[in-house]
Amino acid sequence: MNALNRRMSAIVLAVALLALPLWAQQALDRSKIPPPGKPPALRVPTWTKTTLANGAELIVSEKHDLPLVSFSLTVLGGSDQFEPADRRGLASIAASMLSEGTKTRDGEALSNVLQLLGTTVSVGIGNDSGAMGFVSTTGKFAPTLEILADMMVNSTFPAPALERIRAQRLVGLTAAKAQPGAIARRVFPKVVYGTAHPFGQLTTEETLKAITRDDVAAFAKAYYQPGRAVVVVVGDVTPASAKATVEKALAAWPAGGSKPNFSYPPLPPKQPTAIYLVDKPGAAQSTFAIGNPGPPRSTPDYYALEVMNTLLGGMFQSRLNANIREEKGLSYGVGSSFAFGKGPGPFRAGGDIISAKSDVALVEFMKELRGIEGSRPITDEELTTSKSSLVQSLPGMFASVSSIGAAIATLWTQGLPDDYYQQYGKSINAVTKADMVRVAKQYIDLDHLSIVIVGDRATIEGPLKATNIAPIVVLDIEGNRQ
Amino acid sequence: MPKPSRKFVWIALVALACVAAAQRPPSTAPPGSDTIKIPFESYTLPNGLTVILSTDHTTPTVAVNVWYHVGSKNEVPGRTGFAHLFEHIMFTGSGHVPYGLHDKLTEGIGGNNNGTTSNDRTTYFEIVPSNYLESSLWIESDRMGFLLDTLDIAKLNAQRDIVKNERRQGVDNQPYGKVEEILARATYPANNPYSWDVIGSMEDLSAASADDVKDFFRTYYAPNNAYLTIVGDFDPVQAKAWVAKYFTDVPRGKPVVRPNVATATLPAERRFFYEDRVQVPRLYIQWPTVGEKNDDQYALDVLGSILSGPRTARLTKALVYDQQAAASVSAYQGSNEDVGEFMVTITPRPGHTLTELETAADAVIEKLKADGPTPEEILKATAGEELGFVRGLESNLGKAMRLSDSAGFHGDPGDYKIAFQKSMSVTAADVKRVANKYLTKGRVVLSVVPTGKPDEASKPAESQKVTGAEDTPRPEVKR
Repeated sequence: MNALNRRMSAIVLAVALLALPLWAQQALDRSKIPPPGKPPALRVPTWTKTTLANGAELIVSEKHDLPLVSFSLTVLGGSDQFEPADRRGLASIAASMLSEGTKTRDGEALSNVLQLLGTTVSVGIGNDSGAMGFVSTTGKFAPTLEILADMMVNSTFPAPALERIRAQRLVGLTAAKAQPGAIARRVFPKVVYGTAHPFGQLTTEETLKAITRDDVAAFAKAYYQPGRAVVVVVGDVTPASAKATVEKALAAWPAGGSKPNFSYPPLPPKQPTAIYLVDKPGAAQSTFAIGNPGPPRSTPDYYALEVMNTLLGGMFQSRLNANIREEKGLSYGVGSSFAFGKGPGPFRAGGDIISAKSDVALVEFMKELRGIEGSRPITDEELTTSKSSLVQSLPGMFASVSSIGAAIATLWTQGLPDDYYQQYGKSINAVTKADMVRVAKQYIDLDHLSIVIVGDRATIEGPLKATNIAPIVVLDIEGNRQ
Repeated sequence: MPKPSRKFVWIALVALACVAAAQRPPSTAPPGSDTIKIPFESYTLPNGLTVILSTDHTTPTVAVNVWYHVGSKNEVPGRTGFAHLFEHIMFTGSGHVPYGLHDKLTEGIGGNNNGTTSNDRTTYFEIVPSNYLESSLWIESDRMGFLLDTLDIAKLNAQRDIVKNERRQGVDNQPYGKVEEILARATYPANNPYSWDVIGSMEDLSAASADDVKDFFRTYYAPNNAYLTIVGDFDPVQAKAWVAKYFTDVPRGKPVVRPNVATATLPAERRFFYEDRVQVPRLYIQWPTVGEKNDDQYALDVLGSILSGPRTARLTKALVYDQQAAASVSAYQGSNEDVGEFMVTITPRPGHTLTELETAADAVIEKLKADGPTPEEILKATAGEELGFVRGLESNLGKAMRLSDSAGFHGDPGDYKIAFQKSMSVTAADVKRVANKYLTKGRVVLSVVPTGKPDEASKPAESQKVTGAEDTPRPEVKR
């Protein structure tokens, strides 16, 4: 502290003198909210598109302020398109197995070379897309990409590594049985979609144990194909240099593959609203997950749904959080979301509620859902806040090379136009209060909700029943009826 | 140590594939290369407020961070959890800013706000479109100068309930959730303010009064105990004028008396087991080490990277890969301002006991203590530092935090650069020395076992049962 004060004392005086006229002439009126300045222009990154020799698409966006490069290779389609129902968990294991050795490097050699390059290659496969990628310093871009390509094209999938990864996943599944949030994340989709729909199928001990080394090798070979992939490079590169580096690194990746068609089986027949209670004896809180199947990302109602959900449960000052956390003090935080993707991902509202007030919270959740469907009119201020919180958050998406890469890849996976971000504000601002109420009614079906509550049955079942909101069905932690 | 924060971030159940780069810092550029810099200017107002400005016009946003040099270590026994409870109260409105307006002028215009509390400091931030800088300064100055004007018992009670829910969510209803507070109590004597966790106890949270809140505010939330950092797309001349306008009339407080914290050491091993509603047992080994002000922290950080993380790290390789006895293992140095701990956590695979894993881990650590690491291990552990630093430059908030931590803990916003160089200069001999100096018999070994299965503890006959922090015996105080 001494050093700082000594060095800065001259500046302190200068600033104090300079500032004096600004604030000393009249007493500051603190009751006036300072008005915002002129809105800054939205600056959306630009990019170029081309196709690689093997058919994969390549998108490059330049950003030269820092010596960083973000690389991602995104594959269209994921576990829901490529995993058999009796092998759930296969995609995730295959992704992990890419780090276990190639024709010329064993797992330790891969790890060593990446450590010395100062970065890590991450590999993941989600429900309807998958990606592998890294961020490196500019100088390490080409050598790191060479390792990524080796992992994707030349992996050997050693059987002992599969056994180790399987054992680790089984421990993870067992540990999750003690975690209320993890239980809710498993039971909710199973209740909403049933086991005939991929969204309701879970990775279990049985499916993990069924996976063979041949399954893994075959999956990876069938999955990682350039005909369904896009490469996005963002950062301290030029389109020409990036293309040359990528072509060279991916030269051994043979052409083939096509984009999946994303057909989903029909949803199960609607069931009347019910409370699905999972007993967690002695739990200090009840974990709530309330919802139903929602629309895919391609719905024309996307913007109206975003604005509506922002007000309902998408921000800190949303109706749900303002009521249940701030006013009633029943939770550390509640909210709601639509899981927009290729298929009918769920609408879900919830949070962790103090056990003794589970019934009160349920009443309030239902009240807010009815409210957004029309019983509590939307105010002008709510409409404005919900829209501007969405529109004005866009610049934050373009701060880092990896977030720009993700923003570009999302357009590609969801089939959105190149000027999507430029048009976003216009699309959001076109939403009306009537649109919000309409989509709330259409996509949140109060007569056919699944209300999953993981909590202490002995103390919460009676009060929940007394709310008369819905009948109670007791499930085990795997989501099976008891 | 966790840093409880005001908001629970709602995470949607979207299983999107993501390239969320797993962040282990890692490159091989020489230390001190010209990428390791954050241009800033700094000055102090007459009331003692330190102001740090750093422009970055990459995106049209600005981060405002106000860092108060107060945390849970400034609490007194009987009022634990108070610094964090107070952090929540700072969001309930102030003299000229009614409740709710803060969120409207941040989240409501596409920005964000939050606060976090650690053992040592409490920090508040706004990230806003750059044309909203002035209103953020207005809000921060109002709660620094006029918080008590509108504070009442109702506001205190409302936030108390929310914080209790935060504790339930993060501690009481969470498997292994009580481990941190048990370890803190087992490691530090009663007069050491690091002997309690930041979240505090339910009993103490209930006991806090409105007078406690007022005293705490007057003592610690004064400009002479605060650092205002602005990073992003702004005009420095305009920003300085606004800072002067809004902060100059906030009166200086009394000099802050900081606790004098003695370095903790344990004369012997202390063994405990705790029965929890878990399915899988877990072993925790914690050694008291050093904090932010001792340069041994850098070698201890490298020691953590050599022991766990990548598959070639020694504990990971031995326990998870070669012996296949553990599902996961981690080892890391956690540095607070005055103290620190080195902690090893091991989750077993079925068929392997915690006793077996403790013995195996000790063998790995003893070998490292005897032989020291190889030069290649040092190189691998530090190779990612430059990339980690440069990636940090992509975030205005990240830069603001780095500058204010450097200023608050080390007296110079530019101290991050010295820290970077020290971390890059760690040698194999340094790592060997700190491993021998700190990873001694004087440690806490805590087994968490499923309820009703005390035999699953490591060396159960030598371990004492505890049911929480309350009945965990404190270490003897050396006189």
